[in-house]
Amino acid sequence: MKTDGCRRWREALGAYALGHLPDDERAGIEAHLEGCAACRAEADSLLAVSRLLPHADPARFGPAPQPPPELGKRIASTIGAERRSKSRRRRLHFGLGFGGAAAAAAAAALAIFVLSGSGESSPERHIAFSALPEGVKIGATLEPQAYGTEIHMYVKGISSGTLCRVYMRGPGGADVSAGSFRYRWGGDDAATLSAALDLSRAEALVVHAGERTFVAPLEQGDASDRNTPQEEEST
Amino acid sequence: MPPGALTDERDVREAYAAHASELYGFAVRSLGDSGLAEEAVQETFVRAWRAGERFDPQIGSLRTWLFAILRNVVIDLGRARAVRPTVADDGIEVAVEPLDEALLSWQIEEAMRRIGEQHRRVLVETYYRGRPYAEVAAELGVPEGTVKSRVYYGLRALRIVLEEMGYED
Repeated sequence: MKTDGCRRWREALGAYALGHLPDDERAGIEAHLEGCAACRAEADSLLAVSRLLPHADPARFGPAPQPPPELGKRIASTIGAERRSKSRRRRLHFGLGFGGAAAAAAAAALAIFVLSGSGESSPERHIAFSALPEGVKIGATLEPQAYGTEIHMYVKGISSGTLCRVYMRGPGGADVSAGSFRYRWGGDDAATLSAALDLSRAEALVVHAGERTFVAPLEQGDASDRNTPQEEEST
Repeated sequence: MPPGALTDERDVREAYAAHASELYGFAVRSLGDSGLAEEAVQETFVRAWRAGERFDPQIGSLRTWLFAILRNVVIDLGRARAVRPTVADDGIEVAVEPLDEALLSWQIEEAMRRIGEQHRRVLVETYYRGRPYAEVAAELGVPEGTVKSRVYYGLRALRIVLEEMGYED
């Protein structure tokens, strides 16, 4: 029984589904629903929606927060860096006949050694943080890229699960985010990050690890301050 | 490799343009922190790219797949947060909203954002604020019957938007 008469019932079905109708109107609608399959189906689907409403918080119906504009670039450069470092690892992996994830980490560490020890005019910079608490080691290798700087971080001796946010400090003390990683005991202790700041313009590398902040100033000019990077993972 | 797999960096850029805003919205909703939310979205796209060959559009939409990855990332971040020594002295952690409840809430809130302002308004006034239809009608300067029909069309619009978003009950 779908007639024009349904229309007047239909428009009350919303209030019906929300339980807003006075008793007499509700009784009238229910009598109609008994005999009208189309309205019954409509009422059921609105009842299903109305049951979801309590899960939403009306204070959150305003405009949704938007991701910062640089996030997309950061993701693109992280993926680009990972793709490049993966192919580098793969070459070493085959060359040395290692296996497993630990070997991949060792291969990554080796890659840094091979590159740094090569003595060719590699523009890479090795950074060792000083003034660290007892037992903590933080080091980084910085590599210039078309998009800015690729940063290989290695961290030891801080609490597992600590979130480390890494920034490069540019001219005038402006910090450019390079992303973050979480340090885990027993995990791969090297992380590859990237920042949209030219290495030649960087003044310092900044790491916020948990509540603490560590800053390693970068001296401009030649990369002669070849601080010894952290020793290789022995496991 | 299935056609449509997410294998190169251009695919990731396109996926980001299409879905990052929603993923970020949910990440902020569930983590309550914009810095962590950025981290979660970044990790989601990196994981998606790493596993890109396994994405098959025949099986499900890219959006659904990305949300499934984000859900795991958020769980991992929650675990990592739990092992940090920030737990209160009595060892009781601050209760966090269970993740699937957060996802459900976020979907409905997102659907509410997408329906028309007039529809959202009458649902907020009559349902969430529990105000009488006559009062809302007087405030809006429309007949009471109009408020009632907007409630009806508002619920219908909500149902349609939820379906478009892939909500299944």
